[in-house]
Amino acid sequence: MFSLNTQFASGSGISSLGIELKSFLFQLITFIIVLLILRRWVFPKLVATLEARRKTLEESLVQAKQTQETLERAEASADKILHKARVQADAALADAQDQAKDVVAQAETAAETQAARVLKEAEQQLSQERDKLREQLKGELADLVVLTTEKVLRAKLNPREDAKLISKSIEELK
Amino acid sequence: MASFSRRQLAIYAVDQLLAKRPASEVSRHLAAALIAGKKQNQADLLLDDVAEQLESRGLVARATLTTATALSEELRARLTEQIKKAAGVAEVSLSEQIDPTVIGGFRVETTEHAWDETIARRLEQIKGGI
Repeated sequence: MFSLNTQFASGSGISSLGIELKSFLFQLITFIIVLLILRRWVFPKLVATLEARRKTLEESLVQAKQTQETLERAEASADKILHKARVQADAALADAQDQAKDVVAQAETAAETQAARVLKEAEQQLSQERDKLREQLKGELADLVVLTTEKVLRAKLNPREDAKLISKSIEELK
Repeated sequence: MASFSRRQLAIYAVDQLLAKRPASEVSRHLAAALIAGKKQNQADLLLDDVAEQLESRGLVARATLTTATALSEELRARLTEQIKKAAGVAEVSLSEQIDPTVIGGFRVETTEHAWDETIARRLEQIKGGI
């Protein structure tokens, strides 16, 4: 202090630099007061606001990261679901194709069986009709033969021949 | 009075005839039995039963002869003798009927036997065999 005062007093210190001591002190005191005021009421609020913003930003970043992770997990899950769904769809399609083949095979078998049955029934019916027709023809032939024979016999058989026939039959009577 | 069956009456009648009882008397007994049993409408059936009894005992066979034309006496006699042998009876009462549908041959029917030697029957056999 002594040295400073000495320098001021001497006019060779600050004064030599063009700085007025009183003004300088006044400005210094004012600066200190302002600094104290700022430190007491402004800086805490400013720091708190900045800190709040920083926290908000950090939280936003964390949330964004979480959102990103959630999104990635969702995409992964979606991929898994899609893959699983695709696999299931392929399996279902394969099953459906197999079932369709089975249905077609069963239908073919049933159709073949039914066709064979219908054919067999038709053959049986045809055979029955043939037998019936044969019997009918046989009966008609028998009637025709007997009728013809009867007519011939009536024309040829006179009482004399009839007597011969009766005589022969009498011998055979038992 | 007890009621008798036709078979019992027929047996009684044959027994009485074999015992040389007069036929008129036996006939009266049978008529009385039929009237008593309220079987007057069964007189013909009773006669059939009597004929059956007579034939079964080897006495008399009542035979019905069917032919297409009338038989000669010689053939009738031979046929009667042959029926006696075949039926195993002592006598044959032959009644004849003409039926052109038999075509030829003869048919004889008694109460217990039947012989069909007609052409119509042989034709039926042929028809059945075809």
